[in-house]
Amino acid sequence: MANINNHLNISTKLSIKELTIRMKISFRLLLVLSAFALAPVFTTAQNVEEGKKLFEANCTSCHQVYSEVVGPALKDVDKRRDEAWIIKWVKNSQAVIKSGDAYAVALANKYNNAVMTSFGSLKDAEIKSILAYIKTAPAPGPLADDPSKPPVNPNDPKPSDGANNSTMLMILLGLAFVLGLTSILLGRVAVSLKGTLYTAQPELAPEERIGFWDGTFWPWVSRWNKTVATISFMLCFVFLYCYWGFGYANNEVGVQKGYAPTQPIAYSHKIHAGQYKIQCQYCHSTAEKSKQASIPSPSTCMNCHVAVQAKEKYAGKISPEIMKIYNAVGYNPETKKYDGPQKPIKWVRIHNLPDFAYFNHSQHVKVGKIACQKCHGDIQNMTVVYQKNTLQMGWCIQCHRESKVDMANNKYYEKIHAKYKALGKKEVTVAENGGLDCSKCHY
Amino acid sequence: MENQKKYWRGLEELNTSPEFAGNSKNEFMEGLPLDEVLNENSSTFGLASNRRDFLKFFGFSIGAVALAACNKTPVKNAIPYVVKPENITPGVPLYYASTCGACAAGCGILVKTREGRPIKVDGNEHTFNKGATCAQGQASVLTLYDNDRIKSPLIGTQSLEWKKLDADVASQLKAIDGSKIRVVSGTINSPSTQRAIDTFLKAHVGAEHVTYDAISSSAIIKANEESFGKAVVPSYDFSKAEVIVSFGADFLGTWISPVEYTKQWVENRKLNKKKTMSRHIQFESHLSITGSSADMRLPIKPSQQGLALANLYNRLADLNGSSKIDVQQFELPLDAIKNTANELWAKRGAGLVVSGSNDVDVQILVNGINTMLGNYGKTIDLDNHSNQRKGVDSNFDKLVDDMNSGAVEGVVFYNVNPAYNYHNLAKLSSGIKKLKLSVGTSYNMDETAKMVKYTAPDHHYLESWNDHEAKVGHYTLTQPTITRIFNTRQAQESLLIWAGWENADFYTFIQDTWKENFGAENFVTFWNQTLHDGFYIKPLGEATAPSFKGTVKAEAIMSMAKAGAKDKLELMTYEKVSMGDGSQGTNPWLQELPDPISKVCWDNYAVINKSTADRLSLTDGDNVSVSTSTHKIDSIPVLIQPGMVKDTIAIALGYGRIDANREAMKKESIGKNAFAFRSSYNGHTNSMTADVKITKVSSGYTLAQTQTHHTIEGRNMVKETTLDRWATDRQSGNKNAAHIVSLWDAKDYKGHRWAMAIDLNACTGCGSCVIACQAENNVAIVGREEVLKGREMHWMRIDRYYSFTDKDKKRNSKEKEIAKNVDDFENVSVAFQPVMCQHCTNATCETVCPVLATTHSSEGLNQMTYNRCIGTKYCANNCAFKVRRFNWFRYFENDKFDFNFNNDLGRMVINPDVTVRSRGVMEKCSFCVQRIQSGKLSAKRENRALVDGDVKTACQQACPANAIVFGDRNDPNSEISKLFYNDREYSLMTDDEKESSKEYFNTLKSSMNDVELSNVARSYALLEEINVKPSVKYQVKVRNRKDDTIKDILDLDIKLAKEAEIHHAREHAKQGHHSEHGAEGHGKEEKHGH
Repeated sequence: MANINNHLNISTKLSIKELTIRMKISFRLLLVLSAFALAPVFTTAQNVEEGKKLFEANCTSCHQVYSEVVGPALKDVDKRRDEAWIIKWVKNSQAVIKSGDAYAVALANKYNNAVMTSFGSLKDAEIKSILAYIKTAPAPGPLADDPSKPPVNPNDPKPSDGANNSTMLMILLGLAFVLGLTSILLGRVAVSLKGTLYTAQPELAPEERIGFWDGTFWPWVSRWNKTVATISFMLCFVFLYCYWGFGYANNEVGVQKGYAPTQPIAYSHKIHAGQYKIQCQYCHSTAEKSKQASIPSPSTCMNCHVAVQAKEKYAGKISPEIMKIYNAVGYNPETKKYDGPQKPIKWVRIHNLPDFAYFNHSQHVKVGKIACQKCHGDIQNMTVVYQKNTLQMGWCIQCHRESKVDMANNKYYEKIHAKYKALGKKEVTVAENGGLDCSKCHY
Repeated sequence: MENQKKYWRGLEELNTSPEFAGNSKNEFMEGLPLDEVLNENSSTFGLASNRRDFLKFFGFSIGAVALAACNKTPVKNAIPYVVKPENITPGVPLYYASTCGACAAGCGILVKTREGRPIKVDGNEHTFNKGATCAQGQASVLTLYDNDRIKSPLIGTQSLEWKKLDADVASQLKAIDGSKIRVVSGTINSPSTQRAIDTFLKAHVGAEHVTYDAISSSAIIKANEESFGKAVVPSYDFSKAEVIVSFGADFLGTWISPVEYTKQWVENRKLNKKKTMSRHIQFESHLSITGSSADMRLPIKPSQQGLALANLYNRLADLNGSSKIDVQQFELPLDAIKNTANELWAKRGAGLVVSGSNDVDVQILVNGINTMLGNYGKTIDLDNHSNQRKGVDSNFDKLVDDMNSGAVEGVVFYNVNPAYNYHNLAKLSSGIKKLKLSVGTSYNMDETAKMVKYTAPDHHYLESWNDHEAKVGHYTLTQPTITRIFNTRQAQESLLIWAGWENADFYTFIQDTWKENFGAENFVTFWNQTLHDGFYIKPLGEATAPSFKGTVKAEAIMSMAKAGAKDKLELMTYEKVSMGDGSQGTNPWLQELPDPISKVCWDNYAVINKSTADRLSLTDGDNVSVSTSTHKIDSIPVLIQPGMVKDTIAIALGYGRIDANREAMKKESIGKNAFAFRSSYNGHTNSMTADVKITKVSSGYTLAQTQTHHTIEGRNMVKETTLDRWATDRQSGNKNAAHIVSLWDAKDYKGHRWAMAIDLNACTGCGSCVIACQAENNVAIVGREEVLKGREMHWMRIDRYYSFTDKDKKRNSKEKEIAKNVDDFENVSVAFQPVMCQHCTNATCETVCPVLATTHSSEGLNQMTYNRCIGTKYCANNCAFKVRRFNWFRYFENDKFDFNFNNDLGRMVINPDVTVRSRGVMEKCSFCVQRIQSGKLSAKRENRALVDGDVKTACQQACPANAIVFGDRNDPNSEISKLFYNDREYSLMTDDEKESSKEYFNTLKSSMNDVELSNVARSYALLEEINVKPSVKYQVKVRNRKDDTIKDILDLDIKLAKEAEIHHAREHAKQGHHSEHGAEGHGKEEKHGH
């Protein structure tokens, strides 16, 4: 039966896949069309594209184009200062300040002398392409939702939806049950009424009593042995019930898909990863090194939130959610000193694996180069994080069967790659390379 | 195979006692009590069961399950650091270099920590222990998490504030005259601690420092002072010694610095680099692991040691032409003393004679012998001496006298426990009671802590800063690996505070010492480097040969020998590998580690020879009272031990720490304290006494002895040969006539193929691997009661086999052996064989598991998937090697098993990468798959190939004898692939297999020189005839022995090999004609094999 379920999963997955492919095709078509339309405007499209990447990788933790984050908003920065100055500044801002540049000193003072990281490794051309991107970066849409308020994005499949669905189902089932009961009762009433009638007026009674299976309702079973019919129908029922029960036990018990607990801080990935495009590993810094991706310590939050206080949304007051970070690290925003007691934040773990299953983030993120979204879903659109996938073993195995091992680009696989090549195998899935061994995850 | 050499694990096996025969038939000693459950009249289970009851229970169970299933999934929290420490990455272990504090040997270690808690101790490869550790060192991490540690400063047993304690101690010290104050410590080889003590002494003018070692080398120190004017323990170098003669010194197990010595000793025992090995002769009374590994072992009574040495001295004096001493003539069977003298004389300057005696006259004799042989400056180095033992017994004896006479009024007991391990407890306790001030720094509630007035608890060494100079010029640092768990304080800081310092910070204090010693210039760099490496080794000076000025006192030697007249019962005490001096007596890992020789856990006992036991009508299971003029033990079990010398009783030290043990441990029998049997002789605490009475008091006590557990039906697992034979015929001792047929398809391992090789020639049986495995793999402790039922959980067992060695070569049948050798039970050969899951290629367990919980991996591992296991135990029934362990109970969070898994603190030692198994599942060695996985992952992350040595199993890493090699068989550059190379294996392959692996075999063969080929020719797999193709191979034990005791087996080998050849020839001929008859022919030949 597990197989049947797997097939079901596959078929639904396939249809979704098909859908996404179609969407992708139309999206690409759109892109191509718009590229044609915009070609004369963006002569340096390549630079812009590169600049965007660089901007997201290096700058977004402190800067936005249109809004002030830790550092100033960068829109029109090319108008405020010339390119040479900006390059000098990006490469070593402290040197510029020390040289006594009036603008630089003023800028530093404005931002409480917060030191901007020096990007000595960036090439001039790269800084120029970042500037090119800043020039062309589109203005953001309406501001993201206030994280402290419940999410309103209709695209977010929310766990509460699931709850509503099941409530609705329960109501419907209840109704069906009540209606069914009523009809049976009414049927019984009709039968007894008929009985009474026939005893009173036997002439009205039909020639022969029609049995349950002999009625016009079941014409095709009238030829069957009645016991066999009864047993068959009961077996069908039992089979269906067991099928459902097994499926339920298999797919629901202990499975926390859709789990979206309320967290101590209403942190929104949509704002941070979606809108501001902060790299996942800026915060989850150990995902490439360790088995845990690890929740960042609040001191990491302070890198930005020492300046970002979202006062504009709270009538000049510091956002209460950001205040929670300050309380955790013992920061006093008035005195700007870390003098309070430290209180660790008790986040609620969403993705839980049983103790006997070993999972290592670095294997998947660093070695397998799998995007976070593959398992965690569209995290950049989640206001409240929920568990996107079942995290069941079947789900892991499915991916291990489908994913190819990138043997060519890792020297670890050199020998085995040669062996496969000699066998004429071009692609090797994780499963073929021992990815289904029990002891890969259970020890 | 009737006339093959017989190996046996215990007397019950040799004599095939009915109990042994019964147990060996069952995989599990206790079956399920089905009869009782099904018996309606049984009251044990309270199930006067009938149909109705069955339905009730059935209904209740279903209801309970349904209710339990209604539980909501618990909410789990994830709490990140508020400020993440820079060097901690959650999920990644962090190692700190430090120094082991389990004993004074001071091995360099690396402490593995996870999220700020130490979970494993491994050796530092650059210090003298060369990466290895002993069982006690491995277990020391659990002592850190002892729930019964002292949690705050104490007055009596009441806790008080540090300030109050310091004020009290300071004022009371002030009230005592400085000359009446003493600091008593164990051996201090830390320059900074010594400076802290000196600071204390300076603050209290006239105060003195007394070094007290529970088990001292006091006589060696005194003898060297008299002989050479240097009051030190020398550095020995067993690696330079070609002839090693030890008189009762258990240098591979317990003597001074066993890990260091084992590493040295094994350099001349491994046969992978040369075809010669050292000759090791051991004269001893009780069977130690050193004696077990010796080429010749000669049992002598403890009182005869001096006499034997004196005769050896005279023999050598004859050869040397120097003057002899006037002692009685004494010779052992086989002219052993004479021959030993000749062998030593032949290797002058490359020999080493050591003695474990604590008699200064005996040690002077040893010095004289080594001088005659010119060993000083070569194998013995007095210039770059050891600092591992410094205590001189007479100093503490004098202190005890002074305490009683009032000459001393205030004593600080610095991490010593004389109230447990001093031989004259009555005198000591009356002395302590007379003191005006007694302060202890014990970190757990030991006997001394209970006796002294104040206790200022010290940190555990894993919480402390310290430095060491265990050997001259060999500096190591100890650094904290966890913040202090309880309200304790570093004892050195306590001393400084009591010396009047206001802000004592031992960390800066150490740095100051180092600045003084090594100069303040570039100090930070130097310090950081040393702290990172864990060691700093000063270039050493050349060892010189000092001139011998000692006088050998013949009368003293004779008086000792006379005291132990023939047939007079003698008593000796000895140290066990697991328990040592008992300082870690509360450590359940060590308590459950079977003694390498007796295989008993959780107990000590009176070891006695079979013939002596018969004479005294004693047998296993009897309790006896043992009394000497100084002490009496009312009741202690008797253990008849092959290899024990006649007319002597040996009792292990380190047991009987009832006072210090918690309730749970008290429930277990933890032996008797034998320290009081020792006595002072010539100012040194002697471990033997010649005047002992022994009386049977009761019978019926069973020791938790694992020697016959997991027995393998008398099949020979051990193979051995002699050096001479092996040098001429490298297949010697390893000829096998197994005719192999296979039901399984050949498997293809494309990537790695993990395998292990164990050199029986190197293994000393020390048990370090067993504890390392336990620590690495969260192996549960089951307690004495369960061990009695054969339910110990160790993934690795070290089988110890006895066999006879004697002059008589005609031992054709077992009966004859027994009849002839009753007398000779004092002389047996011993072989150790570590056995863990063999990870068979054609594993029998995999075939029978009904739920596929145990399967084969693509890398050759036999995987055990706990979450699939439903506990049918079929696999264990079908395992040929009896290496599978079943969880009969839930061993964690269970008050019935109140060991470290039952409290939060004790559980901190759990390795988070390994599942803690629950009740009802099978478990076994996994080849440390978590280490394999992490080794592979590191290589992948770093974009490089996996190199041999990247993955080390816990047992391999801990082994002081380099006996275990682990690696990837598919990597032709690995050590293991060479050890798996085997002509024989190749010759047994089918033509297709030969074709496919031809290249591999040829590459391997051409990469090896003659010595290596000879070395790998020793490789064999267990029970080759059943063709399960284990991934573990053993290497034949080679004894450097000239006698012919194993001639029989070699003759048989040749006979079988011939048979095999004939068979093969016939097979080939057959295959040519009728291939379909092949199988039938195999079947017939199979019978021949057995």
